[in-house]
Amino acid sequence: MNRPPLHHELYLIAHDNSGKPLVHQSSMALGLAGAVLLELALGDRLAATEGGVSVRDSTSVGDAVADSLIPLILRDRTARDIAFWTKKVAEDVYDRTRESLVSAGVLNRVTRRRLGVLSQTRHELADIASVVRACSGVRAAVEGREEPDARCAALCGLVGVLQVDAALYLGQPSNQLIGRLRGIAEESSRVVQDVVGTVDTLISEAAVAVYR
Amino acid sequence: MQPQESVEQFGYRQELRRGVGLTDLVFYGLIFMVPIAPFAIFGLVYSRSGGMPVLTYLIGMIALLFTAASYAQMVKAFPLSGSVYNYAGRGIAPPVGFLTGWAILLDYLLAPCLLYLVASIAINTTVPQVPVWAWLIIFVAVNTVINLRGIRMTVKLTKVLIIAELAVLALFLVVGVWALLQGRGREFSLAPLFNPDTFSWPLVFGAVSVAVLSFLGFDGISMLVEESTGGSAQVGRAMRLALILAGVLFVAQVWVAALLVPDPGGLLVRDTGTAFYDAATVAGGEWLAHVTSAATAISWGLANTLVAQVAVSRLLYAMARDRQLPSFLAKVSVKNSVPANATLLVATLSIVLGLWMSTREDGVDLLSSLINMGALVAFIVLHVSVIVHYVVRGRSPNLWSHLVMPLIGMAILVFVVINANILAQQVGLVWLGVGALVLLGLYVAGRRPTLRSFAVPEKSA
Repeated sequence: MNRPPLHHELYLIAHDNSGKPLVHQSSMALGLAGAVLLELALGDRLAATEGGVSVRDSTSVGDAVADSLIPLILRDRTARDIAFWTKKVAEDVYDRTRESLVSAGVLNRVTRRRLGVLSQTRHELADIASVVRACSGVRAAVEGREEPDARCAALCGLVGVLQVDAALYLGQPSNQLIGRLRGIAEESSRVVQDVVGTVDTLISEAAVAVYR
Repeated sequence: MQPQESVEQFGYRQELRRGVGLTDLVFYGLIFMVPIAPFAIFGLVYSRSGGMPVLTYLIGMIALLFTAASYAQMVKAFPLSGSVYNYAGRGIAPPVGFLTGWAILLDYLLAPCLLYLVASIAINTTVPQVPVWAWLIIFVAVNTVINLRGIRMTVKLTKVLIIAELAVLALFLVVGVWALLQGRGREFSLAPLFNPDTFSWPLVFGAVSVAVLSFLGFDGISMLVEESTGGSAQVGRAMRLALILAGVLFVAQVWVAALLVPDPGGLLVRDTGTAFYDAATVAGGEWLAHVTSAATAISWGLANTLVAQVAVSRLLYAMARDRQLPSFLAKVSVKNSVPANATLLVATLSIVLGLWMSTREDGVDLLSSLINMGALVAFIVLHVSVIVHYVVRGRSPNLWSHLVMPLIGMAILVFVVINANILAQQVGLVWLGVGALVLLGLYVAGRRPTLRSFAVPEKSA
């Protein structure tokens, strides 16, 4: 069975059932951007080295957000690094991920009026099973029931960095759980370590940015 | 050789979106400096300077123009978002960077406390039924909630606030000059600029050590170098422009206020803390005093504290990430995207110190002297950084920019420090001594200072 893109899974884990984000949008966007880069890197489309990010294979991975990044990286002549591309992708990844989830029927756009006056649009889950599926690999890895593959380790690392561990409903102390999630990513491949570490740093830098 | 212009030369990549223009940079510097800053400390500067606040502000501006020139040189050499901590660390050596960061930490940590105290005193003159200490708690609480909620100053809001402050200033100047023309106050004179009866260099430089407070914040512009549309050259230009603009505004307002002071002799002997508002009352009546005090409260207590919080958070984050301060200060709340620990530390410190200072008659004086002491020491090291980086290491032939100007700037600042408040000098020395001990402790613990601030990690931690 084809698994949904990493950023779709992360989006679902990082929102509650009513569509409310569990973390600040700037943190969320950086996490989703990291997921897009990891999707491409783990699919052998990108190589991230100290010399910068480069394209290995320009064939589609079947995800509009990830596929649209490849031509951008191909056009870049300065071999920008992971941090640059994470910030670049983060500019619009949140809206694009949400729209693709709506198009796929995973989310429903619902408009209500608050206090009978203010219009508010939420993107609610169509079926809770999609979140359960997104969480299952991470839960199994944390509980030690399954050996995580690189993709699962990447998702664990991003869930840990975004501190949305409560969505896993594992009943463990948060600090311990986040430590375990990060640990899984650190034991994984170099690219997972690098991207997760970069997202972590950029989230901190966004928190102390002068303007946003 | 082309000036080093790119963060990429330091192994970093251009991370922040370049989108802040010259006007935005100048406005950011002005909001940090507060164009109406002398409203709050006018009486103090007037009494300390022997009734020559205009001369005091002019000397302060000139001294800091030299500092801005050194900033521009270091920003050009190291176009990284940081502070004097970064420049001294890279320009001289990491341990010097640590001690410089430690010195300016005194400024950054205490600045919010002073802002809250001044805002509380200002609003207390309008609503005296609520005591200063209660206002202080209200200001700290409101700002802490705003900061913890992740509400940040926007470029647009910065402009709106600056325009509002300038409008109040224009109102004071128009009403003040009109009042002087009508014969209220004293007739125009050069005494606020130079009074041979009271003049002495130590006196004026002692006053500069207080007045320089109004200019602090121009250095905050350097935090935006990676977002600047014109790079480091534009940041240097913005610093100069902001300083000159602020200097002109400060000189204009203190000149008019000095001519309107109702009891100049009494103010020379003792600052009441409300001298500017008393002058505003002479000019336009009670309503103008209320407008100016409310403007002071809002600009110091809300606008300026928001940017001050960003500055202190960034410095704490940078030093903690470099393992030079406890690591909990580098932790941020992912949920709200705010440096929660740094925010709470500043709030606690502001409450404790602010309540104590509100009980002291010289609270504002002492706090501002301490803040200035930290900043002045850091600025002196900045000048040294320019000389070491360009002349000693780089063998620069441009001796005017890289040796003479830093030396002049340094000499003025040293003279200001020598003539500053004795208690501030003592506390400043103790603070630096503690910093030296912490540095020693870092070496003993095998954590000698290295600079990594605002860099993407080489590998995940």
